[in-house]
Amino acid sequence: MLRWIDRFANSSIGRKALMAVTGLLLIGFLLAHVAGNLTLYADQDGSAFNAYVESISALPILPLAEAGLALLFLVHIYLAVRTTLENRKARPVAYQATGTHGQKTLASTGMFVSGVVILGFLIKHLLDFRLRKAEFDEAPHESIVEAFQHMPTVAIYVVGCTALGFHLFHAIQSAAQTLGFNHPKYTPAILWFGRIFGIVLALLFASFPLVYMVKNGGTH
Amino acid sequence: MKLNLRIWRQKDAAAEGAIETFELDGVSPDMSFLEMLDILNEKLVGEGTDPVAFDHDCREGVCGSCGAVVNGQVHGPDTETTLCQLHMRRFRDGDTVQIEPWRSRAFPVIRDLVVDRTAFDRIQQAGGYVSVDTGSAPDANILPVPKPDAERAFDYAECIGCGGCVAACPNGAAMLFTAAKVAHLATLPQGKVERDARVLAMVTQMDEEGFGACTNHYECTAACPKGVPIDAIATMNREYLRATFLSKEGV
Amino acid sequence: MSTQNPILDSKCPTGDIETRWDRHRFDMKQVNPANKRKFHIIIVGTGLAGGSAAATLAELGYKVTSLCIQDSPRRAHSIAAQGGINAAKNYPNDGDSIYRLFYDTVKGGDFRARESNVYRLAQVSNNIIDQATAQGVPFAREYGGHLDNRSFGGAQVSRTFYARGATGQQLLLGAYAAMSRQIQLGKIDMRPRREMLDVVKVDGVARGVICRNMVTGEYERYAGDAVLLCTGGYGNVFYLSTNAKASNVTASWRAHKRGAYFANPCYTQIHPTCIPVSGDHQSKLTLMSESLRNDGRVWVPKKAGDSRAINDIPEEERDYYLERRYPAFGNLVPRDVASRASKERCDAGFGVGPGGKSVYLDFAEAIQRDGEDTVRAKYGNLFHMYEKITDENPYERPMRIYPAVHYTMGGLWVDYNLESTVPGLFVLGEANFSDHGANRLGASALMQGLSDGYFVIPYTVCGHLAGRNLQPVSTSDEAFAEAEASVRERTDALLAVNGSRTVDSFHRELGLTMWDHCGMARNKDGLQQAIDKIGSLREEFWNDVRVLGSNEEFNQSLEKAGRVADFLEFAETFAMDALDRSESCGGHFREESQTEEGEALRDDDNYCYAAAWEYQGPDGKAALHKEDLNFEYVKLAQRSYK
Repeated sequence: MLRWIDRFANSSIGRKALMAVTGLLLIGFLLAHVAGNLTLYADQDGSAFNAYVESISALPILPLAEAGLALLFLVHIYLAVRTTLENRKARPVAYQATGTHGQKTLASTGMFVSGVVILGFLIKHLLDFRLRKAEFDEAPHESIVEAFQHMPTVAIYVVGCTALGFHLFHAIQSAAQTLGFNHPKYTPAILWFGRIFGIVLALLFASFPLVYMVKNGGTH
Repeated sequence: MKLNLRIWRQKDAAAEGAIETFELDGVSPDMSFLEMLDILNEKLVGEGTDPVAFDHDCREGVCGSCGAVVNGQVHGPDTETTLCQLHMRRFRDGDTVQIEPWRSRAFPVIRDLVVDRTAFDRIQQAGGYVSVDTGSAPDANILPVPKPDAERAFDYAECIGCGGCVAACPNGAAMLFTAAKVAHLATLPQGKVERDARVLAMVTQMDEEGFGACTNHYECTAACPKGVPIDAIATMNREYLRATFLSKEGV
Repeated sequence: MSTQNPILDSKCPTGDIETRWDRHRFDMKQVNPANKRKFHIIIVGTGLAGGSAAATLAELGYKVTSLCIQDSPRRAHSIAAQGGINAAKNYPNDGDSIYRLFYDTVKGGDFRARESNVYRLAQVSNNIIDQATAQGVPFAREYGGHLDNRSFGGAQVSRTFYARGATGQQLLLGAYAAMSRQIQLGKIDMRPRREMLDVVKVDGVARGVICRNMVTGEYERYAGDAVLLCTGGYGNVFYLSTNAKASNVTASWRAHKRGAYFANPCYTQIHPTCIPVSGDHQSKLTLMSESLRNDGRVWVPKKAGDSRAINDIPEEERDYYLERRYPAFGNLVPRDVASRASKERCDAGFGVGPGGKSVYLDFAEAIQRDGEDTVRAKYGNLFHMYEKITDENPYERPMRIYPAVHYTMGGLWVDYNLESTVPGLFVLGEANFSDHGANRLGASALMQGLSDGYFVIPYTVCGHLAGRNLQPVSTSDEAFAEAEASVRERTDALLAVNGSRTVDSFHRELGLTMWDHCGMARNKDGLQQAIDKIGSLREEFWNDVRVLGSNEEFNQSLEKAGRVADFLEFAETFAMDALDRSESCGGHFREESQTEEGEALRDDDNYCYAAAWEYQGPDGKAALHKEDLNFEYVKLAQRSYK
């Protein structure tokens, strides 16, 4: 009865479509995340941020949303790993000379690598905040200040955000293409929007640890 | 001019292959790349060495027989050019030229630079046609086709089936080839009747052949000697999603 | 050579030409639909003729085995046809009709084709366009969405359908798609990378073929109830031609040796607008669509051996010789006339470029008149191709062109049913001889290939299958073993020579001889010399050719050697035919037979026949059989383009 779903989910195009959809939903999450983080810049004492965290924590659907988010990540990662492994198998003997006709980019060929780096960063990020939720909820802003006083943490965050930028640089127009959206009037705009969006989002995310490190660097 | 050729030699599908080096003098800039291989082979036969096997036929860029990866580039450095149309004036005296066959799990090497591309035929057989028996066609002008659609369909239909897209794809995907056919027939009214069954069957076959999956590097269209546009793949993706979620095919 | 042989029966229906094909179809025996699957048809070649025949016969229910020399049926050389396909649709409302297409084709063929065949060709031409369009062939269209037509090859009406400069490709892919559907349905057994090396006859009827598997070297036997040869033309006997490298005469020649007569081998089309030879390394010639002559002007300097740069040659010192000689048609004279005129100028020492072996095709006036953009829109792809090959920019300086061998009108003799003199052996497309006479009109090759495959053979093969009491055969029959042994013996002989010269060197030498003596102009002495030369070259080949490797492997040298060996035999028959035909007609120009102005002069009293040659063994000269040609509808007249 569900043969068609099985066929879809296991086909090359179906898997890529699922990757695109999960990726786009994750981008939606990132947008919400960055919007929340921007409250850090709303004032000097972090009260806006604290209020924001409190309101989020109070949401009754939060556990469900978190579970959904985790599922998105897992599906996206699973599909990425599977596709990458299968694509490697598709060329058992590699070329000895390397060359190109100039279309592939560092971002497009490095999707798996940037994805792995993002995953590493994500784990660190979860360890820093999500797994210390009780502590964090107690004093969100101070947790931020505390975390970004450590140079290695900031470095990991900056690397993670850079990888995110790389990933998104390719991801948005790639998702549009995978989902069948390619149109001479809009595709160039999507390409450039996607690239700029990826860079801006990465810069914004990277700005938080950097700004906090600089701002509070002298106190410790 | 004189060239230092590094060519993949492999006796048959089962044998181990390796790069062998040949010096070739007297190469004229007016020669095509295949003519350069011709004179190499003349020389090799004279020396009692087996000539280098390579597929070729029309030598004017339309049959799709020829193809090799030259210094890492599919069909060599030019754009919209098959190997037979590449000329030696693109090379300089003393250059080293590395020549390798298409590399794909679905294209096993038959000998030297010759690979087995019958996987493409099987993809076509899965659904790359309009089911119209000879004699049953209505008058050709009964279905007007907007000129831009006819032109676009031609852009897709121009695919010569050389396999360069697979060879150029970092993933060894056959998406551009399959999409060219799907998009060609999806663009024309004659092909719309069977569009859902067609795309499902052709993509299934493509996957079964062992090609990789598209991750949108777009190397295929850049290497394509006919410049089959990349939106063919978007069209195929759209057709596939449509067939999966909106049609009654493949329940 | 004997002329006492019986006159061949073309089995053409008589009476009103408009109803001949209908009546013939009605008179033919039918195969019951349920019985069709019991008949097995072997088709060699997958070009327009073979591909369309395989698809159509499989659709009808026959069991089909299809063999091709390429790695995929999609690559047959029909794919390289650029210009278009004629049909008498009269969509442009400019006065075309089936009768006019018929008339033009008979006249264009210089009255050396069969009226009945040509009329049928014109009749089914419209069905081809319908069929191809329904398959999704992306023909060029008008803004209103209807099919576009253009005028081609000097025709007075616009009847040519086209798909940019790749009409052959698109039509072939249409036939290939139709085949693919039947392969998927299990009705066609498709075998690529197979070279047919012999026809097997049982009780005098063609019942199978022997092939070499080009990957493993194995010999394979295929048995069936009818054999269709759709193996193209033999232009590569000239070594340099616009044909694909694998195009060869082997299938036709081996069938010839099994009793199929070879008709009019000397009829060769030499196309005027090709890119000239650039050096000894040249492996093939590239044609550029003759549509270029719609705007380009052909000229050479008025002074012989003028080595000045183009721009230094003032207008009054340029000889626009086609406009001078043929004021009415100018640069648009038919292919054979244009080709001969360039040869005449070059032979007289007025040629330009390396070795004086080319003439200018100049677009300066068109660019000045219409602007570069307009010229680019019309011919951009051709200019691009020219520049890629020659490294010269035709927008800035005239192109250099020279004629090249392009198509062969001759081929295996077939009757109205497309059946050769071997019962059960049918020949379709360029491989047969029937429809183009001594000169083929532009955009008619695609029409004929598809007509034969889609709309003629499905009917005429019935006559053979239902009309003859065919007994079952098996590949273990003695005839198959004998044929395989003879093929094997020949291959072994090629490998055993182990001489010092490469196969290509013999092929080049043969080509040069053919070009010099059997090319655009022929004469008795030259042809006699050619026959001698071919004989001695053949002898040298069998004593000194070097073929490396073994049969049991993928061996391209061995493949080539077999083909060149056959060309070396065939070439002699070609030259003999040219020698026999002491008249000029179409692509065959005998210097002895010309008007005072140097134009081709037909001799209808003595040569109004198709010459069909019968193989008489390796040591005997071929015997000539004649099929008289009668012109009831199109009155015999001398062509004139003055």
